[in-house]
Amino acid sequence: MSEGYADETTLVNAESNVYDRGLDAAIGLSVLTFALGMVTLVDAVPLNASGAALGESLVTVLAVVGGGVGIVGVSSWANVTPVESHRVRGIALGLVGSTLGLTVLAYAVPVTLATLLGLTLVVEAVAVATAGLASRVEAVDTGPNTSAGLLAGVVFGALGLAIGTAVGGSLVGFDSPAWVAVALGAGLVLTALTVLPREDVGSTVPAALVVGTLGLTIATAAVGVGWQWNPQSLSGGFTGGAVVPLFVLVGAVLSAWAAAKCRAGFGARGREFGAFLVINLNAFLMVAVMATIVVFVTVKGVGYALHGFTIGALSALVLLAPLLVVVANAARTPAGTSDWHTGARQLFRLLPLAAVGSVAAVLLSVLLTGDRLAYPFTYSVQVNRAQRSLDTALAVTPEPTVGSLLLVVPALSLSVYFFRSYGSLRNVGRRFEWVETARRTLPLAVAGTVALTGLFLLVGPTPLGLPLGGTLGLAVVVLAALAALALSALPLGGVLVGEGALADRAQDAATLFTLGVFGGLALLTAALFLQATATVTPSVGPVNVVPAVALAGAVASLAATALVARAKRRTDETLQRRLLGEETSLGLTGVAGFLTLLGLHVAVTKVSFTALGVSVANAGTLSWPMTMQTYVPLGAEPGGILPAVVGTVWLVTGATLFAVPLGVGAAVFLTEYAEQGRFTALVEIATNALWSTPSIVFGLFGAAFLIPRLGGDESLLAGMLVLGFMLLPLVLITSREAVKAVPDEYRDASAALGVSQWVTIKSVVVPAAMPGVITGVILGVGRIAGETAPLILVLGSTLNATESAQVLDGFRFTAQPPFVANDALLSASASLPTQVWAVIAAGVSGSPSMGWASAFVLLLVVLTFYAVGITARTYFRRKLTYE
Amino acid sequence: MSNALDDSETETTGRTASQTTTTTAGESDERVREAWTDYDFAGTPKLSVEDLNVWYGDDHALKDVSMDIPENSVTALVGPSGCGKSTYLRCLNRMNDRIKAARIDGSVELEGTEIYDPNANLVELRKRIGMVFQSPNPFPKSIRENISYGPRKHGNIEKGLLARLFGRDDTEAEYELVERSLKQAALWDEVEDRLDDNALGLSGGQQQRLCIARCLAVDPEVILMDEPASALDPIATSKIEDLVEELSKEYTVVIVTHNMQQAARISDQTAVFLTGGELVEYDDTDKIFENPESQRVEDYITGKFG
Ligand SMILES: Nc1ncnc2c1ncn2[C@@H]1O[C@H](COP(=O)(O)OP(=O)(O)OP(=O)(O)O)[C@@H](O)[C@H]1O
Ligand SMILES: [Mg+2]
Repeated sequence: MSEGYADETTLVNAESNVYDRGLDAAIGLSVLTFALGMVTLVDAVPLNASGAALGESLVTVLAVVGGGVGIVGVSSWANVTPVESHRVRGIALGLVGSTLGLTVLAYAVPVTLATLLGLTLVVEAVAVATAGLASRVEAVDTGPNTSAGLLAGVVFGALGLAIGTAVGGSLVGFDSPAWVAVALGAGLVLTALTVLPREDVGSTVPAALVVGTLGLTIATAAVGVGWQWNPQSLSGGFTGGAVVPLFVLVGAVLSAWAAAKCRAGFGARGREFGAFLVINLNAFLMVAVMATIVVFVTVKGVGYALHGFTIGALSALVLLAPLLVVVANAARTPAGTSDWHTGARQLFRLLPLAAVGSVAAVLLSVLLTGDRLAYPFTYSVQVNRAQRSLDTALAVTPEPTVGSLLLVVPALSLSVYFFRSYGSLRNVGRRFEWVETARRTLPLAVAGTVALTGLFLLVGPTPLGLPLGGTLGLAVVVLAALAALALSALPLGGVLVGEGALADRAQDAATLFTLGVFGGLALLTAALFLQATATVTPSVGPVNVVPAVALAGAVASLAATALVARAKRRTDETLQRRLLGEETSLGLTGVAGFLTLLGLHVAVTKVSFTALGVSVANAGTLSWPMTMQTYVPLGAEPGGILPAVVGTVWLVTGATLFAVPLGVGAAVFLTEYAEQGRFTALVEIATNALWSTPSIVFGLFGAAFLIPRLGGDESLLAGMLVLGFMLLPLVLITSREAVKAVPDEYRDASAALGVSQWVTIKSVVVPAAMPGVITGVILGVGRIAGETAPLILVLGSTLNATESAQVLDGFRFTAQPPFVANDALLSASASLPTQVWAVIAAGVSGSPSMGWASAFVLLLVVLTFYAVGITARTYFRRKLTYE
Repeated sequence: MSNALDDSETETTGRTASQTTTTTAGESDERVREAWTDYDFAGTPKLSVEDLNVWYGDDHALKDVSMDIPENSVTALVGPSGCGKSTYLRCLNRMNDRIKAARIDGSVELEGTEIYDPNANLVELRKRIGMVFQSPNPFPKSIRENISYGPRKHGNIEKGLLARLFGRDDTEAEYELVERSLKQAALWDEVEDRLDDNALGLSGGQQQRLCIARCLAVDPEVILMDEPASALDPIATSKIEDLVEELSKEYTVVIVTHNMQQAARISDQTAVFLTGGELVEYDDTDKIFENPESQRVEDYITGKFG
């Protein structure tokens, strides 16, 4: 194999010979050993497992490896993601082969996992040494340098020194200085062996020696599971359980590196491939640590956290709807020309749809058959210092009821989704004089309703004793609702009435679509809020007007959409298809929007709404005791941690609302306006220092400075402010970098158009910096959401709270300054991190399993904030770049 | 005619012949140059520049430039790279104020009003004197938003919820403006059906034409263009050239170009800068290209020097 990169593709695709195949297998084996080392490090499989127990664990590993390689293999075979490199194929095969081999060995030979890993290392050492020597005697064609290099020499020297110390220490003891000689000797010999010979020997033989020594030590149980070393100078000690996995990891990395160098024929390419593999194993380690933490917390906490989780099938279906729409849209994307490879690609696109669809089908069957679907399991709680197992189940009930918020959230997101895929229906469709009139009067109607809402909000529904709310308010609500009803029926009417084919009628009705959907939604929303502030609920018999109109609007929009979609299928005209596609999106926006209003109405008025046996209700469709109940002190069931969840959400929200505007504002001022000099440098230093300040110091500051000024008691507000102070420096630093990174060309362009600096900042600089700013907020929120130490000092962290902070209801307007008061903000609250801390670390009453469950919920909350942040960032990034 | 510095001894043609008889070479060159740049035209100047000097730190980038730019005409600025053309152009709408290292001395009058007056309103000034930069710099926004950005920020186009509520929604006007500006800049046909796509997705040449359209949308009186055609193919270039000629009926255009044929084709008068930031000669374009006073200018134009 020759040097240089020109023939990289020929190398990658070249036929491999036996030597190459063998080395691929060795690399695969090393990677597997590395993975097993990590498995033993986290104690997922005990080191002294053997026989069938070990075999079973290895079968699991085999399933994971085989499954992963299998999926990639199938999609490569189907040409979806073609893998052409012989190296990758070889390593994948080696991985599967060695896993299979180890599994068979575990069943066949009665050895422990530790011994097995030791033997594996020895095999790797032999393989690497053989490959190196084969290259040295020119049995294979390679291109080694004259030496493996000084860096490798130093690394192997250090390894030799460590091994020599251990061996010398155990042979002659640390009392006589002879061990120093042994250690130095080993180090020197390995360095010389690395640096002096040609590269193929220098990078394989020392590696083989080290790996072999490590392997033999483990295999012969010189350092085994029960091994213990307690140096006198240290208070702690080393146990076999910790050292053996470490040996395995080091050995695996070394042999993988050496084998990779051999495989790429040494020289520059060999170094590159070797380094590449080691770096990848490290990255793998990082991902694995993250995954381990998540999995660990989940395994420990999920049982308790999900006890009594019950959801109505209809609610679950509604929650699934956005996902269904997204995967359906992805599956619809054309796959290109029609040979069978694109067919295979299409299949992979359809798989998610099939998965989501089958879940939906199960939910639907629950709804139709009326049979409850349940997955029973047990979880443990601690009662009077004794563990007790409780039976519970995850269940889907056949209720034909949707929770109001469970309807609002998906419907709103769907409405936004469809609105975004709607472009603009401008200058198309027939112009009607009355449509223009309606279009012009509509804003006035909405503005009037909003103004009335504002009035009632300020002075109440009965100003000066006049029952305005009950009379004027009622009348306006009814009028607005009726108008909204008429508007929402416009699209359907436009499609049904008129001349020509369905498609032509639909095209003519374009103006009616925009007016009907937007006007109807706007008016009904205004009516909804007006009736809340006027405290009236107009109804005809038992049926409330506003939700009935919302339902009618949704049905009418759906009907119109269905007709348009059908017309779209029939037409061949490209332009008309596009137009009708836009109308479909708009119609669906309307459907989802009206459903949102229906849910909102129920949520605001707390009166459920039933039609045709299906109802929208406020309670009863979702039961998740862990996050929806407060603690039950002496109940048979433990209850939940709702107050802590609410507390954490408010803390993070408050801190973000406080820190983000301040941080971004300061960043903009410092970058755009302030003279760069001493002052900005000082601010920069101070910010960085603030960022490195220990959180407990923030807590002390809050306790000693803020609390006396905020009424003297530990409070939610103090917690928000302290967390806000902690968030501020990170937001400031990242926002500053983001604002600085906005190219000056944008500022110049804007200035040259005669736009003032402030407007430029507002409309060009800040939007362009937005993704960077949000990255900072994401990182910062991740930090403060789990912050415990300062909260212990300032929050008054109630443990196992039985009441959640009622922040929104707590606002009161007062006649004296400061005009607004909120008792909930000024009283103590619970929070998730302090709950976890109190339950687990401080050993306060409550069971450890509840602590794990709280930690699990905390993880969920943080990940939710994270998801929101990532979505926002993606949105802004999309806006800044072309897709 | 070999030594450029000794022009004065041998050059006897032109309307400044009386001044070429002085003895000392250096002094005469100085005086003669002043005369060569002292271009007379009928009517009042739109912009008149007097003794303009620019320093970047200690680097004297522009030396004693004086020139009057006539209204509704095209003035070309030519000269070798690094001679200060962009610097000069940026002085005309005070974009140099934005460069920290730059120090500017001298006077520029727009229709008799000093623009370097400390009380001058920069925002108003730049509304009246628009600029197209040497490298295209569209905003990371949609094509439509790029065009309507200026007028919207100036309050000439109102959009959004509030405007709609008060019945002052100018969407229609915005669409017309976008279409008109893009057609003027010869870009409409290419982007007609992707107006809502991000402008960064356009090619370099399309981006440059978008920047021209964006500048036109503000409807300035003077348009400064810094090599607007350097990234364009011959077809788009000729479209831009047509546009510039068209514009000169209503606007005053000052354009930097490295392309001599282009300068000859489109400009009414040409100013030649040479290395060191001197304005060497400024006259009718025909005169400059057919019969320049300065030997150095002739050499530069014919490609012997530069
Ligand atoms: N921002 C700046 N800071 C410091 N020096 C500058 C700056 N801008 C320009 N200069 C210097 O001023 C001189 C004139 O530059 P200018 O950009 O005006 O040249 P130009 O004639 O436009 O050249 P080109 O044809 O290559 O665009 C150059 O020597 C340049 O290095
Ligand atoms: Mg330039």
